[in-house]
Amino acid sequence: MTTLTGEGLQPSEFAVTAARAVADCAALGPREQAKHLANDGLLGVIASQDVGGLDLPLAFAVPVVAAAGSGLLGFPLMESLLLSRALQDTLPRAAEAVVSGEMLATVAWQGSVSAEREGESVVLNGWVARAACARDADCVLVRIGSGAAALVPTDSEGVVVEDAAGLDLTVPEHTVRLQGVTIPAVSVLPDSTWTLLGSDANVLRAAAILGSAETCLAMAQEHASTRRQFGRALSYNQALRHSLARQKLALEGIRHAITRSVGETAGSIERDAVFLAAAAYGCAISEGALQVHGGMGFTWDVPVHRHLRRVRALQAQGDASGSLAALGRRTIAAIAPASDVAVSG
Amino acid sequence: MTVIETESPEAATAGELSGEPYRVAMRRWLRANLPASFRSDSPAFSSPGLTQSKEWEAAMYRAGLAGITWPKAYGGHGRTLREHLIANQEIGALAMPESVNSIGKELAGPIILAVGTEEQKHRFLPAILEMRDIWCQGFSEPEAGSDLAGLRTRAARDGDIWRINGQKIWTSGAYRAQRCLVLARTGPLEDRHRGLAMFAVRLDAKGVRVRPIKSIDGRESFCEVFFDDVEVLQSDALGAPDEGWNAAIRVLEIERATNRMYRAWRFENELRHLISACKSDPALAQLVANRHYEARIGEVVVDIEVLKAHVETAVDALVNGDRIGARGSLAKLHWSEAHQRFAALTLELLAQASLPQLPAVQVARRRFEAIYLQARAETIYAGTTEIQLGIIADRILQLSKGK
Ligand SMILES: Cc1cc2nc3c(=O)[nH]c(=O)nc-3n(C[C@H](O)[C@H](O)[C@H](O)COP(=O)(O)OP(=O)(O)OC[C@H]3O[C@@H](n4cnc5c(N)ncnc54)[C@H](O)[C@@H]3O)c2cc1C
Repeated sequence: MTTLTGEGLQPSEFAVTAARAVADCAALGPREQAKHLANDGLLGVIASQDVGGLDLPLAFAVPVVAAAGSGLLGFPLMESLLLSRALQDTLPRAAEAVVSGEMLATVAWQGSVSAEREGESVVLNGWVARAACARDADCVLVRIGSGAAALVPTDSEGVVVEDAAGLDLTVPEHTVRLQGVTIPAVSVLPDSTWTLLGSDANVLRAAAILGSAETCLAMAQEHASTRRQFGRALSYNQALRHSLARQKLALEGIRHAITRSVGETAGSIERDAVFLAAAAYGCAISEGALQVHGGMGFTWDVPVHRHLRRVRALQAQGDASGSLAALGRRTIAAIAPASDVAVSG
Repeated sequence: MTVIETESPEAATAGELSGEPYRVAMRRWLRANLPASFRSDSPAFSSPGLTQSKEWEAAMYRAGLAGITWPKAYGGHGRTLREHLIANQEIGALAMPESVNSIGKELAGPIILAVGTEEQKHRFLPAILEMRDIWCQGFSEPEAGSDLAGLRTRAARDGDIWRINGQKIWTSGAYRAQRCLVLARTGPLEDRHRGLAMFAVRLDAKGVRVRPIKSIDGRESFCEVFFDDVEVLQSDALGAPDEGWNAAIRVLEIERATNRMYRAWRFENELRHLISACKSDPALAQLVANRHYEARIGEVVVDIEVLKAHVETAVDALVNGDRIGARGSLAKLHWSEAHQRFAALTLELLAQASLPQLPAVQVARRRFEAIYLQARAETIYAGTTEIQLGIIADRILQLSKGK
């Protein structure tokens, strides 16, 4: 697998490998999972070949992350994929370790810390949150100010990983406090890092939600066809047929928006919109699937709640409500008042 | 009456432009030639009359902006569906009136291309593009709306002639049309889908009576059409008898998936117009700067982006030779409901203007009040929302209806 190049390769070809790998990971701890996923070539899909990656476009990470969503993988896969590439130029050794599964790294998506330069070192202070699986991770990428970022070993002096409340049980998100944490200045990534990371993460979050939503709808469809009430399959009832049809519309909306967001001409609007659509539709699909399951849906045993938890966590992680308002704000700001332009367009 | 004078139409069609240069040529031509009075976001707007509309659309055709994918042999421009999409993006970007012959260009034309004879293609298609023949669609009947298979208008064969008797309703634009695409029953009513045939009926034929119906927006946009022993030549029958249902389904799939491909871009034009109008009024400018309305506008942007994604996926599929089939219902459902949500938002916002007499607010209110009312039909025509949901459940999810 690691010898494959982009030529003639289709993103969909990764779906099968990824689904199998995710299933195999079910009983493993995080470190073994890292090794296993690395052996299948999945952690370096978008990283350069210099660090052991496949150097493929982001579109190839989509089916991998979707498979992880569908199989409820308990591993910070999106973070590993993005980090392997984000680190490849500045910290190639670390990138290599992520790709090979030797190092478990994650990203704290919320909050930022202050950084002060002291000679060849930088001292970090502050707190960050929504760091997936930080408890198990060797390193966490934290945001500095508004755009830069630094890779911080979790065993550094002054780093405290705290449990945080969170819906997703398989990928718990932690808060990380940094009190006078000293790291080498070379561990600080350039100013543009965070914007690129955030924009690609939006696409991959949508992919993860797609995987979950697809599974939820398939479960609901199956349940509606097999469960009988009033002497008929549930799917006989138009109310449920229409509810499932709406879930299908939402699902295809996410899928098409992802395709569009990784297209050649896609920019920040497509990237933001794909995440926002996936967050809204993904919640509707998993909640709708739960409703179709009736009382069964509320039981711990039926995994719909796990998907719902994950979708909600991803929605919050990407700050859906903040970015929705920001998207509106940008759109409004870009347009002049009507008095200035008699005719728009 | 103004005569539409256009800059050399050859400018747009000249050479074998494609991709971005093609887009630029189409954009230039549209912007140079679209009269300000046609633009509903302009203070100069006044709804164009039929003659003006016909002239404008004929000019658009000559400039390469209609019949884009139709073969050159039948007057088309022989271009790709991707170029059709590009042209539609440029058409959508400007607040121009809807085509008065969209049924001809987007429904009758494609169906004639699919099932018509060579003679019919030569006879009907150029006349549609040159705006000599405006078409309407005679499917719905008083007793057959969502359940088209229940239609009762009959066509009985008498040698080389068919005799049509019955009544159609909700026939958009029939009062100004030359031809009607009529779906009629040739077999017994019990046969439902079988024994349905399609005809190109001249509306000036003896026995045809058209009665306009006043609609929600105060306009006379659709009509009742009565057929009293109307004689139709066999040469005006489209496709084999009994194939009418399949042909109709194909028409409807086209209607749902690719019809008015500019919708997403028109929608974007409407959003731009709304925002620019809001920013010109002090109270509205303040309102849209609060987080609630920022988020609501954000939702509109997401709706538009998702619509573009549906359209582009459909184009990709068609370019790859796939039939759209039931998937057309997905895009149709999304655009109709998203547009209604948006239309409601426009009214809600504009109602809060502090200077309603401002020309910019007036222009916007006139446009968006019309859009709001017209959008109520979008979840009804081309198959209601409930029918689309049924199609997705039956044909895409294939949910069992049995016991
Ligand atoms: C502006 C406008 C323009 C039109 N232009 C044309 C035209 O040019 N040519 C033409 O042929 N037709 C045209 N139509 C007609 C349009 O196609 C029909 O109105 C539409 O198919 C619905 O049929 P109906 O009005 O008879 O409503 P009905 O079929 O009676 O439906 C009434 C309500 O019941 C619901 N319903 C019906 N069946 C079911 C079901 N099985 N399950 C659940 N709910 C159901 C519908 O969704 C709807 O909400 C136009 C309609 C409008 C509004």
